[in-house]
Amino acid sequence: MIRAVIIDDERLARNELKKLLQEFPEIEIVAEAANANEGIEKIDSLNPDLIFLDIQMPGKTGFDMLAELDKAPDVIFTTAYDDYALKAFEVNALDYLLKPVEPRRLADALHKLHLEESRDRESASEDEISVNKSLLHETDQVFVKDGERCWFVKLGEIRLFESVGNYAKIYFQSNKPLILKSLNALEERLDEKVFFRANRKHIVNLRLIEKIEPYFNGGLLLELKGGEKIEVSRRQTVKFKEMMSL
Amino acid sequence: MSLAELMQKTSKYYWWLQIGGWGILALILVFANILFGRKVDMQFLIPLCLQVPVGIFTTHLFRLFIHRAGWLMLPVEKALPRLALGILIVCLLDTILRITVINWIDPTNTSKRLEFSTRFLLVTVENALYIIPWTLIYYFFHYIDKSRKQQLDTLKLEALVKELELKTIKSHINPHFIFNALNSIRALIDENPLRARTAITELSNILRSSMQTEKQETVFFEKELSIVKDYLALEHIRFEDRLNVQYEIAENTLTQQIPPMMLQTLVENAIKHGISKQVSGGTVTIVSRMKEHYHQLVIRNTGRLNNLGNEDGFGLTSTRNRLHLLFGEEANFNIREINGNMVEAELQIPFT
Repeated sequence: MIRAVIIDDERLARNELKKLLQEFPEIEIVAEAANANEGIEKIDSLNPDLIFLDIQMPGKTGFDMLAELDKAPDVIFTTAYDDYALKAFEVNALDYLLKPVEPRRLADALHKLHLEESRDRESASEDEISVNKSLLHETDQVFVKDGERCWFVKLGEIRLFESVGNYAKIYFQSNKPLILKSLNALEERLDEKVFFRANRKHIVNLRLIEKIEPYFNGGLLLELKGGEKIEVSRRQTVKFKEMMSL
Repeated sequence: MSLAELMQKTSKYYWWLQIGGWGILALILVFANILFGRKVDMQFLIPLCLQVPVGIFTTHLFRLFIHRAGWLMLPVEKALPRLALGILIVCLLDTILRITVINWIDPTNTSKRLEFSTRFLLVTVENALYIIPWTLIYYFFHYIDKSRKQQLDTLKLEALVKELELKTIKSHINPHFIFNALNSIRALIDENPLRARTAITELSNILRSSMQTEKQETVFFEKELSIVKDYLALEHIRFEDRLNVQYEIAENTLTQQIPPMMLQTLVENAIKHGISKQVSGGTVTIVSRMKEHYHQLVIRNTGRLNNLGNEDGFGLTSTRNRLHLLFGEEANFNIREINGNMVEAELQIPFT
């Protein structure tokens, strides 16, 4: 069963989508929201697997809403006209439906989603999944919006979080966009078995370390897969060695 | 037109003017001499006959150089000092050629009796009397020709831009609107079949009128208003209680002529930039009334004006341009924010 939330400012558009989704018994609509703030509320309280999201809404756009979430569920965008959605997702094209929605396109989008879901399950060993809901897992995705560009990023693909004032710069592939989250807040939510606080300014992904070298004062220098060199403070080095020896 | 083409095209006239000009000059000198009762002998004719080919030769060289150096393309204030220097050099060249050739073919020439420096100066000054007018005529002929062509090009371009602008404005119906309307109608088919039927009629009216307007410059206000009413009725289906519409239409304005789709575009903007951005919605008010000497249309909507982006800027400028094209100074358009939460657009159109 896939638990879904529909977020669209038009009641009729929500109704129409609900009607179309009746053909898919595996989808359960657990809530509806008429704007971004309502949407965030519903997502936080219900933790759905999937959201159908209108891009243009009053107050905040669908993109703005996603960027505010700690962890993004799977998203299928719905929009009346495709200029907006296409422009934002030239990098990693996501699925979007054009309103009025064609039933066959909806079936395709849901089918694609099932495939990805089962692939994710395989890669994530079930026993590792934390009971604690607020902990972010490697296979969780975040939505990142930096100016006009948008990405869905799996946490496991992020090499490095770097503190920049109140923001954090995240490094993945060749991109380093900023997100409005402090490093301390991130550290609390990230799985400490994978994400390690190397020093005051950096959190590194332990699975994406290329080289480890000794450094001054008994510290360590980590070289990441992207070539970034991060110093591990003396205090954290002890912890790091402990973890690695396990 | 490339330089080569330009030279080819003008060279026909150029040679006639060169030969004709220098020829006439020689004839004038001969007649002047006769008129003042001086002798027309070999002493006079040989230098004269020499002057024509030498003049043509040096000025032709000068012309080639002007083209090669691209002086005709320079702005006037840059070209003139260069030309002045050029004139000096051509005069000197001319002088050297003339003196050398005369000394060679006519050693008995009387002017040899003069001091060389005096002779050189006299010949140079004489040359300047021909070369300066030649250069001025040549340069300004091209200057006028060039600016006329430029003007023509600018006019052509402006006309094209205007035509394109008018076309896009007139046929402009936001695709977002069409697809959202269709989506609402599809949902209505089950919920309220009767309303769905009228909605389809309303949408057809809008589509039809947007196709027809390309042929007309102005339409009756009544006709435009009925389209706007259809449009707002459809948007009301979509926004439901988030959209509130008020009309204040004076009966006597219905027969006035207004540009088609202009009111429609402004109302669309009021929805797009005003109502659709408000979480709790708002009101759109349309006022049409006669003022002392014009027809006044006011579109008021909930919202702010501070986010006048580029696309909006285009819509407003083109509304202004369109009014200007049709009515000149007599029409007016302005948009402003009132009370910090309303935007008011006002059209003033002359009586028809």
